[in-house]
Amino acid sequence: MKSSTINEYNEYKTEIVKKYTLFLSQYPEIFSDLISGSIFDFAIYDSLDSYDSGSPIDIFNVLSNGNGIEIKPGKAMDADLELALSVEAVEKLIKTKDREEYARLLGSYFNEPDEENGWIDFMLHKRTQILLDMGYGRFAQAAGILEDEYSK
Amino acid sequence: MSKSSELEIKNKYTGEVIDTIQADTPESVRDKIKKIYESQHLLNEMDFFERAQHLSKYASKMRFKKKKLKDLIVAEGGLPIKYSEWELNIVLTGFRFCDWYYQFIKDKPLTGIEGEQNVILKYIPHGLSACISPRNTPISLPLYQMGANYLVGNGALVKPSTACPLTMLEAYSTMEDMDLPGLDALNLVIAPGEWAVDEFLKSHLIKIIMTVTSSHTAKDILVRYGRLLKKTADKSMGVAMYTEPFKQFFFECAGNDAGIVMDDVNLEKVAKFNAIASYTNSGQQCFSMKRCIVHQDIYDDYVECLIKEIEKLRYGDPTDPTVDIGPLGSRRILMMMEVMVADAKEYDVKIYTGGDKIDTGEDYGLFYKPTLVEIKPELCENLSTAPFLWREEAFGPVRSITKAKDMKDAIKLANASNYGMRAVVYTSNLNNIEIFKRDLEAANIYINARPMLVDVTIALGGIKDSAYPSGCKYYPQELVYQKYIYDGTPTNLKDIK
Repeated sequence: MKSSTINEYNEYKTEIVKKYTLFLSQYPEIFSDLISGSIFDFAIYDSLDSYDSGSPIDIFNVLSNGNGIEIKPGKAMDADLELALSVEAVEKLIKTKDREEYARLLGSYFNEPDEENGWIDFMLHKRTQILLDMGYGRFAQAAGILEDEYSK
Repeated sequence: MSKSSELEIKNKYTGEVIDTIQADTPESVRDKIKKIYESQHLLNEMDFFERAQHLSKYASKMRFKKKKLKDLIVAEGGLPIKYSEWELNIVLTGFRFCDWYYQFIKDKPLTGIEGEQNVILKYIPHGLSACISPRNTPISLPLYQMGANYLVGNGALVKPSTACPLTMLEAYSTMEDMDLPGLDALNLVIAPGEWAVDEFLKSHLIKIIMTVTSSHTAKDILVRYGRLLKKTADKSMGVAMYTEPFKQFFFECAGNDAGIVMDDVNLEKVAKFNAIASYTNSGQQCFSMKRCIVHQDIYDDYVECLIKEIEKLRYGDPTDPTVDIGPLGSRRILMMMEVMVADAKEYDVKIYTGGDKIDTGEDYGLFYKPTLVEIKPELCENLSTAPFLWREEAFGPVRSITKAKDMKDAIKLANASNYGMRAVVYTSNLNNIEIFKRDLEAANIYINARPMLVDVTIALGGIKDSAYPSGCKYYPQELVYQKYIYDGTPTNLKDIK
C-alpha cells in the first residue's frame, strides 16, 4: 500500500496548489514507476510569459521514497525535472474523478496545449538516459504524456 | 518552375492556393550555403548538451503551435489530421529527448593490448549538410534532418518538397522567434530538386548530401555526381585525376516491407494492425507494410478479415478527424498506382477490394481507393519476372497479398525483394520467431508489434536498395566522423624532450 505525506501544508502560497497537493496525495500509485529517491518539481504558471521567464506563481516538489510520496512546498534542491502546469490546467485536473481521467486530461494538456484552456510542459534537469533509468519514461506513459495516435 | 519564380502552394484536397512564396534562385542558394558555412562555428561554440537543450526548448515552443502546424500539414500535404498528430509528435519527441544520442558520439578512450590508455576516439562533425526531403512528410523528416545536424554541430541547408514547404517555413520561423542560438548555421531552400541538387553537388562547402527519397532518385544523384567528377578529370599525368572532392552521401530510400501472418494468431486483431500498417497516410510511407504474406491454412479467413478492415477505412476530406485516407500527394502517385494495378492484371491476379481511382482531372483531390491484390506465390519468387506491385515500392494505397506454406516459405517470399527496410511477423510460435529474427533480410525486424511503431532512438535505415550506405538514415552517428587520437606524451615525453 503506497502512502502520501503532505509536509508544511500552510507554507504553500496559493489555494490552487493546496488543492492540487491534496488531490495528488490521493493517488500515490501514479508515482509508483519512479525509483526511490526520484524527486521533481510541480511549478504552476499563470501565463506562458511567466513560464518563459521562469516565474511560477507557486511551486512544490514530490519525492518518491519507496513507500509512497512526500510532497513539500518550494523547489527541490536537486530536482530531476520540472513539470510546468498552467493554472487553468490545474483547476480542471483537480476536478477529475479518478486516476484514469486525471491521466487522460494531463495527456491532453500535453498533446493539445492551449494558452487559454490549459497546458502542461516539462523541463528536464538531468539527462534523458538517467531519467529513463529512474522510471520517468514509464511514468510519462502512464500519465498519458508519451503516446501517439497509433499506440492507443 | 523556372529558376526564379513565385511558388503557389495548393491545398491537396480542395486545390485552393494556400500561399504564394518566393522560391530560391541558384544565386540565393549559393548565398545561403556561404552564410551557413561561415556561421558553423556558432554551433561549435556550444557543447553537445547546450545544443540538445536548445532543441528541447524548441520542441516545447513548437507544441504550442501544434494546431497551426497540423492545419498546414493537412492542407499542403493532404495528410489526414489524425496522421498529422503522429507526424508532429514523432519529431518533437525526438527533439525533446535528443540528448539521448550523446552515448553514441561521446569520446571513447581505448585501452591498448598492452594496457596503455593513449588512444581516444573523438566524434567530429563532417561539416555543412545539404538535406533533401520528400513530400509525404511535410515536417518530420526535414525537421529531423535539420535537428540532427544541429545537434552534432553541422550547419544544415534543408530543402523541403516544393509541394509542401509551408510547414517547414513555419517551423523555421519559430526558430527565429525564439532566437535559436546558432540559427545562422541553419536555413531552408525552396527550390525544385532538378537544379537544387546540382547546386549542392557543385558546392565545395557542402560536405554531406542526405536525402529521403526513392532508391531510383537517390541513384540518380550518384549518377549526377559521377558526371560532375568526370568533368573535373585531369588527364595531364596520363591517368585520370579527379579534382572534385568526395562528399558523404546518406540516402534513406524506398521500402517494400513484408508482413508475415502465421496460422497461430487472432486473425481479426492482426488484420486491424495490418490495415493501419498498410494504408496509413494513403500508403505513402517508406515503412508501410506493402507485401502481406499469409500462412496458407488461414489465408482465406484472413483475407476476409483484412478486407473488412480495409473497407472500414474512410477516405476523403483530410481535415475530418474520422478520415483515414487523404488525397494522394501528386498525380504521379495516382498514375503509379494505376500502372501497378494494370501491370498486375496481366498476371492473372485477384483484386479483392479497391482498384478504382477518384480523379478530379486537376492536381488536387486525387484518390486511389485502398486496394488489395492477390499475387500467386510462384509469381513472386523471381524478381525479374514478378509484377511491378511485388518488386517495386507501391507508394500509395495498393498492397499485395500472397500465401506461404510455412515460416521458411514465408521468409523466402519476404526476402524476394530488392529492398530491406523493415519487416514484421505475427506469430505465437517461439521457434518461428527465432527463424524470422535470423533469416529475414531487413535492417529492422518487428515481432508482434503494433503498427506505425517508430523508435526515434534508432535509425530506420535499411539494407539492399532501401538505404545507402546500408542502415543509414540521418541520425547523429552518421553525421560525424571518428577521429583516432594517439597521444604518446605520457609514455614518450622523457625520450623525445
